Amino acid sequence: MTAIVSTAKGSAAPKGDKLHQTIRWVLHNVVWIWLFALVVGFGLFNEFFLTVMNMQNIMVQATVLGMLGLAVALPLLVAEIDLSIPANLGFSSAIGALAYSDLGMPWFPAMMVGVAVATLIGFFNGLCITKLRMVSLIQTLSMMIILQGALLALTQGKTLTNLSDGYVWIGQASVAGWPVMPLIFILSLVLIGIMLRMTVFGRSIYAVGGNPAASNSAGIRVDRIKIITYTVSGFLAGVAGFLLASWQMAITSNQGSSYLLYAIAAPIIGGVSVFGGRGNVTGILGGVLLLTVIQVGLAITNVPSFYVGMIGGFMIFIAVAIDAIRVRYFA
Amino acid sequence: MPVQMNASADNRREAADIVLRVENIRKTYGSLVALRNVTIDIRRGTIHGLLGENGAGKSTLVGIISGQKSPTSGTIRLDGHEIFHADVRSMEEAGVFLVTQEPMIIDHISAAENLMLGIWPSRRGFVRWKKLKADAARMLEGSNINPEARAGSLDAVARRKLNILRAMFSGGKVIILDEPTAALTVPDRRQLFEFMRQLKQKGVTFIFISHYNEEILEICDAVSVLRDGSLAGGTDDVRSLTSEQLSELVLGRGLDLFQRDRRAAEGPVAIQLRNVIAPHVQVDSLELRAGDVVGFTGLPGAGAKELARTIFGLHPAREGTISFDGGPGERLPTHPRDALDRGIAYLSDDRRKDGVVGHLSIAANIALSSLDERSWMGFIDSKREARLCDDYFASMGIKAPSPLVAVDTLSGGNQQKVCLGRVLATRPRLLILDEPTRGIDIGVKQDVLRIIDQLSRTGVCVIIVSTDTDELVRAVDRVLVFRSGSVQEVVTGGDITTGNLRNLSQA
Repeated sequence: MTAIVSTAKGSAAPKGDKLHQTIRWVLHNVVWIWLFALVVGFGLFNEFFLTVMNMQNIMVQATVLGMLGLAVALPLLVAEIDLSIPANLGFSSAIGALAYSDLGMPWFPAMMVGVAVATLIGFFNGLCITKLRMVSLIQTLSMMIILQGALLALTQGKTLTNLSDGYVWIGQASVAGWPVMPLIFILSLVLIGIMLRMTVFGRSIYAVGGNPAASNSAGIRVDRIKIITYTVSGFLAGVAGFLLASWQMAITSNQGSSYLLYAIAAPIIGGVSVFGGRGNVTGILGGVLLLTVIQVGLAITNVPSFYVGMIGGFMIFIAVAIDAIRVRYFA
Repeated sequence: MPVQMNASADNRREAADIVLRVENIRKTYGSLVALRNVTIDIRRGTIHGLLGENGAGKSTLVGIISGQKSPTSGTIRLDGHEIFHADVRSMEEAGVFLVTQEPMIIDHISAAENLMLGIWPSRRGFVRWKKLKADAARMLEGSNINPEARAGSLDAVARRKLNILRAMFSGGKVIILDEPTAALTVPDRRQLFEFMRQLKQKGVTFIFISHYNEEILEICDAVSVLRDGSLAGGTDDVRSLTSEQLSELVLGRGLDLFQRDRRAAEGPVAIQLRNVIAPHVQVDSLELRAGDVVGFTGLPGAGAKELARTIFGLHPAREGTISFDGGPGERLPTHPRDALDRGIAYLSDDRRKDGVVGHLSIAANIALSSLDERSWMGFIDSKREARLCDDYFASMGIKAPSPLVAVDTLSGGNQQKVCLGRVLATRPRLLILDEPTRGIDIGVKQDVLRIIDQLSRTGVCVIIVSTDTDELVRAVDRVLVFRSGSVQEVVTGGDITTGNLRNLSQA
């Protein structure tokens, strides 16, 4: 069936309103502009900030947050949320480490066990939210508490440091002075980006997040999409857990919990809508880098530590406020 | 054109006579002009019709009058006073109320509370629940709505009534009704019109938006027509107009009403349903031959819509089989995906709820139901997708700057075309259309009916679920009239007339 009717009248071609366009562009890229401004600002305050060494430091710091940001973004895109991701990171990495140290498994299969557990937890969250229609906010909140408690029980409050050399290699390795670990984040970012942009699954994620009822009527199996999304998200949390433990060469009894709010803030700052259906990996990267630059910058510019939290909070607030203004007046 | 222009007609009137004056209103979205310097005077105690095609600017104008949107330039005068920076609240306080196409109802609270939303009777900040309930019960008298009922449990008709009642009883001076009759049955419509006439006698003014010429001619005193964001014309005396003149004014050209050549059922059976039992509907047998266009009609809840949704897997069947081309009976689909894979497609009557994904582009929406067909190993073939979308974008005649525009920004009729494009892109053998022309203008309606007709010539079976008898008369070969969950009557050939169908479905 083709060519049936034609009633289209010529629609007015958009004329260039230059100032408006410019403002739109600026506001649209506000995360990146703000990021650039902060990098320059911190660089002026402290010359160490703009050194190659510090840039490498920022990249390493951004890796774990970035993996978590991606993991948090996926459920947000289908208009759900997963609060248990940082707790999943801690718990699953402890499982991986104990499989090596207590069960005597070689480090690589042991690490895989940890990642598999994280993936299963994500899958289970997805099942609860779709098949049992549990509210994701509360379901994953309770999962977070369970996993935090389980980590404490597993470690008995101690810090796990018995990690194999192979396990910690990725967190320490560098090629010609450049750390290897950020490559994992970049690779994940690219893969998730391709998945969202170019696959049927990615398109389905955006559709489900935008209007679940219409997606269902359009023939998308909404529950299945949500379950797979949570599963992928759990997998990313598992990899992030491995990376964090490898980098720190230790797993504390509350590993990961300090990441919770930043992991949620990063994708949202980067333009991922909490109402679902909107956001992309470029934005997530921007959000992650912005938060990392704020943290690292405040740490090395000799801001008294009592003020760091407050100033960092303000900087995040400004980023979010500008974005809100964009949506309100220039959408 | 035998129609006077508004401005010249109204300049002669006394200012006191005019309750609402819209003056030189212009509205732009970025570089897109939605309204071009529109001026309309509305006289007190009249029913003023507002007509225009989808996207002509009716909704924008009404949004501005009701305070939901602010004009880029121009003024609004109520009783001669200019209103500055109006928002919905202040316009309602001034007595201007809007009853929209999409009923604004809060599902989880009662009908009574919805009715009194924002006008809660209170004493020192505390809501007076007894008075609220008593007032609501009095208002709802005769509407068959239980004030205690949860609003979410009310059907579409009751929800619409609730909204209309809310505006009418909130002390509105000017009440804007945006397609108030779209889901109403004939007696309900009559009741509504009677009610409007009564209030009109008391000096209430209505702005009445409808796509139906006969409604405009029946109820309105004056009419203004918008076309492409400008005032195309209007008159203070509707009685001087004919339906054809109105259509011409709306479209800017003569309208050629579509009429299908009805066919008698012949040829082999293409689709057969047997012993279908689902909640609220039961059908022993239904046979469709290739190229049949069959109408389902009946009161809301009588089973027409339920059967349609059952065939598509949206309304789970307890029992029943479907067979294709004389093949063995298969179970009915359990999910829309299942139905689409078997060549059954469905167009929802509520496009905002389960028709379009608003923030996605037109192209993405058109492709949404047939993604797998144009993908390899899960990757979308973007070239084929772009080609498909361009095809449907053009053939549906969607009015938008490009296929990459978000569907949210389109008018209702254009959204409907996007939905229809998505459904047709699955190349169905059975196409189910639920109220395919609800809320779209008369020009687009003819287009849609023509598309359906041409599809049926290629051998596609079509089911049209509709309460619009005119649409059924023009588009289908036979009509199944549903009552209390089953097929009560099958009307064929020359018996398909508006009068006949109305009598049968209302009985």
